Amino acid sequence: MRRRASLVLLAVAVFLAALAPLLRWYAYPRLAKVPADTYRTAVLEAKDATLVDYARMEPRTVPKVTLVQTLKGNVEEARKVRRETGRDVVVWDTLTHMTGPDGAMISRIPERYVFDAHGQQPVHAGGEHVDGTPVRRDGIEYKWPFLVEKRDYRYFDMQTRASAPIHYRGTRSFRGLDVYYFEQTVPWTRVPFPKTLPLGVTPETLRQLGLERWYTTRRMFWVDPVTGAPVNGEEIHREELRWTDRPEKQPVTAFAGHVKMRADYVDSTVALVTSQRRLVLLLTSWLPWGSAGLGGALAALALFLEARARPRRAFTGQKAHDGGKTERQAPGKRAARSRGGSP
Amino acid sequence: MRALVAAAVGLAAALALVLTVTAIGPPEGSTSPKPLLTSAPVHP
Repeated sequence: MRRRASLVLLAVAVFLAALAPLLRWYAYPRLAKVPADTYRTAVLEAKDATLVDYARMEPRTVPKVTLVQTLKGNVEEARKVRRETGRDVVVWDTLTHMTGPDGAMISRIPERYVFDAHGQQPVHAGGEHVDGTPVRRDGIEYKWPFLVEKRDYRYFDMQTRASAPIHYRGTRSFRGLDVYYFEQTVPWTRVPFPKTLPLGVTPETLRQLGLERWYTTRRMFWVDPVTGAPVNGEEIHREELRWTDRPEKQPVTAFAGHVKMRADYVDSTVALVTSQRRLVLLLTSWLPWGSAGLGGALAALALFLEARARPRRAFTGQKAHDGGKTERQAPGKRAARSRGGSP
Repeated sequence: MRALVAAAVGLAAALALVLTVTAIGPPEGSTSPKPLLTSAPVHP
């Protein structure tokens, strides 16, 4: 009976011990991925911002500018790209919609972002674009890969439509989470006008007026290192309309403000990330270490039972299950016989 | 010999479990019917 128990324990111990590396190095890279059907919104606000009045072509201070960002996973398109490329991809159709204090639209920039569901590398298929213009990303955007490293990453900027390093600046504590802080500064760069502008203004109208759009920003992200999801984001953003053929004229500030995520969105993002990080930790740490530890303990118990069963079998004269070693008489019987027996 | 068989059974079970789970994978889902927003929601 003890022998059978030790064999069962040994099988379970090997099962658990084998499960540990298999979960960490085989299952995790295949199971941890950004879901194709993600739908997320984020609201960011800039208080006391400067905004251009297109009717007068003058900057004015407004109490609040709001940016509404929506990320929507396009499952059908992801399936199509997977058939074409053989890669597990996510296709995000996004919209960054900017409104003034009265809720009127200031600009809207749609995007399509196609990336590898596991590693976050951009995949050049499925019509990736920014504001209808095809782009070819070579960095991350909106989200970092799972298990973020303490290093710089290349981050895609939708205004310049180019990627540049976003620098790791250390580990910070944010709402009870240990997060990695990243920062990127985009120097003054000439950028295209958004295709949709207020008051019927078109990019062509502005170009005919002799204006071009310049932009600079300092971008900050607080990123959960387990899921790679930012739990907070801020930007110190400036845009100017510069006169191309009249250098004596002062540029017009199109937008200037410190954009911060609205507090209730920070709370909901932190809550979501906290629940998601448990799933990743389960596969990368808790289950592998737990099953390795339990497997080791059960293996020790199996060995212990086996060691106890062996002398007992030998002394009781039972046949061993190891190929049939020579039967030995129990010392008690031998001793009894040598003493001439007892009643 | 029996110990080897027991260990092989444990190893095979672990492999079978992990291969099955990864082959099934997480559900794909479908595209959300919700629109891309043009105004700030009151709540997240």
